[in-house]
Amino acid sequence: MAASAIGCSRRWFRAGNFNFGNVAEPRCWKSLVLASTFFRSASKTAGKQNRDVPWAAVVGLEIHAQISSNSKLFSGSQVQFAAPPNSLVSFFDASLPGTLPVLNRRCVEAAVTTGLALNCTINKKSLFDRKHYFYADLQAGYQITQHRLPIAVNGSLPYSLCTGKNQNELVSKTVRVKQIQLEQDSGKSLHDDTGHQTLIDLNRAGVGLMEVVMEPDMCCGKEAAAAVRELQLILQALGSSQANMAEGQLRVDANISVHHPGQPYGVRTEVKNINSARFLAKAIDYEIQRQINELESGGTILNETRAFDYKLGCTIAMRDKEGKQDYRFMPEPNLPPLILYDAKSLPTHTSHLQVVNIDQLQEQLPDLPSVKRAKLVERYGIQPQHSFTLLNEDGLIEFFETVIAATQMNPKKVIGWILKDVLGYLKQYNVMVEESPISPLLLAELLNLLESGMISSSAAKQVLEIMWNGEGKSPTLIVKEKKLELIRDQNELEHICQAVMDGHQKEVEAIKKGNKKVLNKLIGEVQRETRGRSDPVSVKQILEKQLLLQPTKKNP
Amino acid sequence: MLRASLREISAALKEGQVSPVELCQKYLALIKATKFLNAYISVTEDIALKQAEASEKRYRKGQRLGDLDGIPVAVKDNFSTMGIETTCASNMLKGYIPPYNATVVQKLLDQGAILVGKTNLDEFAMGSGSTDGVFGPVKNPWSYSQQYREKCMRNSSTSNEELSWLITGGSSGGSAAAVSSFTCFAALGSDTGGSTRNPASLCGVVGLKPTYGLISRHGLIPLVNSMDVPGILTRCVDDSATMLGVLGGHDPKDSTTVQDPFHPFQIPNITDTSQLCIGIPKEYNAPGMSSETLAVWSKAAGLFEKAGAKVVEVSLPHTCYSIVCYHVLCAAEVASNMARFDGLEYGHRSSADKSTEALYAATRREGFNDVVRGRILSGNYFLLKQNYETYFIKAQKVRRLIVEDFAKVFSSGVDVLLTPTTLSSAVPYVEFIKEDNRTRSTQDDLFTQAANMAGLPAINVPAALSERSLPIGLQFIGRAFCELQLLTVAKWFEEQVQFPVIQLQDIMDQVDAVSQEEKSASFP
Amino acid sequence: MWALRVSSLARAAFCSRSGNSAGLSSVPPFQEDGRGRKKVTLELLDHLERLALVDFRNQEGVERLEKAIEFADQLLSINTDGVEPMDSVLEDRCLYLREDNVTEGNFAEELLKNANQTLEEYFIAPPGNIPLPKLEDRDTFLQKKKPSADMLPLTF
Repeated sequence: MAASAIGCSRRWFRAGNFNFGNVAEPRCWKSLVLASTFFRSASKTAGKQNRDVPWAAVVGLEIHAQISSNSKLFSGSQVQFAAPPNSLVSFFDASLPGTLPVLNRRCVEAAVTTGLALNCTINKKSLFDRKHYFYADLQAGYQITQHRLPIAVNGSLPYSLCTGKNQNELVSKTVRVKQIQLEQDSGKSLHDDTGHQTLIDLNRAGVGLMEVVMEPDMCCGKEAAAAVRELQLILQALGSSQANMAEGQLRVDANISVHHPGQPYGVRTEVKNINSARFLAKAIDYEIQRQINELESGGTILNETRAFDYKLGCTIAMRDKEGKQDYRFMPEPNLPPLILYDAKSLPTHTSHLQVVNIDQLQEQLPDLPSVKRAKLVERYGIQPQHSFTLLNEDGLIEFFETVIAATQMNPKKVIGWILKDVLGYLKQYNVMVEESPISPLLLAELLNLLESGMISSSAAKQVLEIMWNGEGKSPTLIVKEKKLELIRDQNELEHICQAVMDGHQKEVEAIKKGNKKVLNKLIGEVQRETRGRSDPVSVKQILEKQLLLQPTKKNP
Repeated sequence: MLRASLREISAALKEGQVSPVELCQKYLALIKATKFLNAYISVTEDIALKQAEASEKRYRKGQRLGDLDGIPVAVKDNFSTMGIETTCASNMLKGYIPPYNATVVQKLLDQGAILVGKTNLDEFAMGSGSTDGVFGPVKNPWSYSQQYREKCMRNSSTSNEELSWLITGGSSGGSAAAVSSFTCFAALGSDTGGSTRNPASLCGVVGLKPTYGLISRHGLIPLVNSMDVPGILTRCVDDSATMLGVLGGHDPKDSTTVQDPFHPFQIPNITDTSQLCIGIPKEYNAPGMSSETLAVWSKAAGLFEKAGAKVVEVSLPHTCYSIVCYHVLCAAEVASNMARFDGLEYGHRSSADKSTEALYAATRREGFNDVVRGRILSGNYFLLKQNYETYFIKAQKVRRLIVEDFAKVFSSGVDVLLTPTTLSSAVPYVEFIKEDNRTRSTQDDLFTQAANMAGLPAINVPAALSERSLPIGLQFIGRAFCELQLLTVAKWFEEQVQFPVIQLQDIMDQVDAVSQEEKSASFP
Repeated sequence: MWALRVSSLARAAFCSRSGNSAGLSSVPPFQEDGRGRKKVTLELLDHLERLALVDFRNQEGVERLEKAIEFADQLLSINTDGVEPMDSVLEDRCLYLREDNVTEGNFAEELLKNANQTLEEYFIAPPGNIPLPKLEDRDTFLQKKKPSADMLPLTF
């Protein structure tokens, strides 16, 4: 699939001064006189000179995902996030001379399933290599990786992103996956500024990583973030990686360059170790804009490595080695070729423990996110963009399905409550689904009250707010306490309607003259009067009836 | 008793003719008496005696662990030994005490063998003389043999005895000297380009290089991972089969050991050699080979022919490139393997600590000798992006050509190849050091290197004494994993030539005298 | 019989001069005539010192490298058309796979014992990974090797 076929809706221009948004104003932004938002159409800049020739950006990603396994890639020490320093280190991890790597079968399976899920060709024979460089947390002086012949190649990752005015249009995109390779993670260095030294903890050294290399088919931070999110969901569905960015299980390096459309690609920079989903798009967009500004003001882009500083909100050139880095790749002599089999090529006299069968793994693949989404749409009749959001938020599907099971309300209606109301609160207050003060069962109870006509929809919203701030009281109780039940008494309703009409003669006249829309205002007033205890449909009927009966005021 | 073979002493232990403790004490005394050979870096006296006591208990209970129970063995100091300093004869690892045993060491200990010490070598096994380690050179026991001494006195060209001592060859010189001077029954060496067979030849002992992948390298501090194998040094071919039986087999800790089942064997005594086909590779007739070696080699060929075997001239056309190929691949792997020595986790650490890189550079300057540093630098040169294809890949292609040479020969009906092991018998140290390490290695590894390149098993068998009464050994190279056939032929040859035992009577008498004194002193 | 046959080859060149399909050079490969030896540029030496974190120490070190390169150059004359590089003699064997069990760990004490400097349970390194200072600022023998008239730099 050619990159040009995968277009980008975003157009980049040099821009004036804008504030960044909800991140605290970073210093370097001011000094660079940058913008945070970008012009979408040429028409806005029509008045300016051809400084505003559009730019296009290309973003490629190298994503390191820690393999979810009990033990490490080449040794039998444990994989665990938090542990006393150097307690999860084998002699091989510490690079004691004479120790040798032994490949963990589970890691191979994880890489194969990931490759299959990403539509890759699985190389039946793959090789391991040594990549040499010196670093305090790289204890052997080299990393074992797959440089010449990785385990999987030539795949693709379809993903979607929300666009449009209300972010409710779903656009499908694809990014090509160049390869997936198995490699070792490094240890951790902790900088002790007071002691002027670096503390080395090798617990992470040797943990299995899958490096997923994505071609530069993305054009901005949003696309990259969406692609990464989709990959994360796939890895979690497969169980090959927990892909938790906060725990360092998923780390992203972005390769970014800019060019004028129709011209060759520009020099690229690498932004390393983006470890937060929140800042992924921001970091990439910052770098794109930085490059544009640099080029626009006559500067050049260096082929360098940069890091994203979260506090400052910008990328900074990392202190690169003087001169060129040469990794002096060499075959890993202690590991013969890794051979994988399929149903046709299974060896006869080999223990099944020594055989990784690609076809078997293919059969055992669980439902991938795209399949899950389609199933949700089919089963519940919800819109694709709804199922997209459901999957996108951790725990939201379970929440949704628990509610569905406990309510008679149509899933198509339930979804609105969950995505607009509940999720709205969660996002506003930055709360995870699993920490939601509104539990699925309580929400179901509320929806049942609504469905059975006990309360109106606006009353339900009021109850929801109370539930959000509350101590887990049941909606039924809240309704009782706040007296939010729908008014059933027709007379009472008519009385209130009449009163409202009396108080809003102007609107009444307007309606009579033919402006039907103003009726909604009256309905709204009735709702307010009744504190949401009136059913808008009934109110409308009553008002319409009363309007007919109302004599038109004659002009004096 | 000291000159007995492993088998003989094992039988004696079983019969109760000698006790493990007695044997151990005698061997430790002999090690002391032969200290001037500098064959040992560490002598593990306390550990050995404890092991001997444990062995004795087992014998008394009739619960001996196997043929090696109670037998003193030595291990080259590039094998990791738990709790025992392992230095590789380098400043970089002085004081390094591994927390684990190499698999081969563990296997020996599991059989009840007694570890008497760690033997001397060239630093990180780089060298062919055992002269380039930080603990000094190893002296060939034959320098002090009666046979050699008598010849020397007759020639009387060498006046100063001390200056005329001979090298052991290398890099497993310490192990070869230890076996040759009767301070152990068997020793472990390592063999990357001939490091076991070369000193075996110069010290007049049997040196076996097994097929690559047969014996575990876990715990062997590597030189060239794709060619290293643990080597076995013994006084006769039968003993090497005994050792092989204990050491061979798949090790889950070493992914380069083959998973095929391994069966220890006893070498049959063959009488009928008519089915045998011996190959004589013509390219091994190299300039620089001494006329004596050439004569011994052709005599040996004649021996096989007379006995009815088919002896044919064969060709291994790429033999001459084996050394160059090795030079590149070895340097590249050395550059890579030595990258881990930075002083952070173990080993020598410099005090220059302005930055991590400065620390590494200083540590490596202080810890490695010139030979090692030279190979690291040239290895890195060959691995540079711009040179990788030209040198490294090229060498790998030539390697395949060499391997194919052997494959062609072995598939044409040849069972075993017969070649010299070294260019000549042992030379005096003063002569040896005139050339630098790399030049020497290039010359001395000529006959042995190709077997490492191809991963084939090879064995040195002492064949005859030179005119100066120094050992000349011959090498047999066999098919991969066909050690049984190889050792069968080697054993037959050994029996034909009846190589003389080294006469170290003075030293032996000394030891006997001392032990007599000790015995009488211990009686009230 | 054999004695004669072998000794008749004693004067023969080490490698067959008649030439064969492998296209071997007829010059004995391990004779180093010292002429035409490549000299390496200061830039390359500096590059190697930084990559290897090992210094040349003196002119002998540099010559050692030059000799090594010259020796290796003998490979270039060998015809290897159509020959695949060989990583290992075990290339036709399959890699042993280990089960995903935790079998090692909790060696912190043993590991830290061998380290020269530790702090609690950590290994210690100097601050950061500041690259080696530039040639001008380093105390290296290469300082004395700055370009002079008699150096013939080769581009690599």
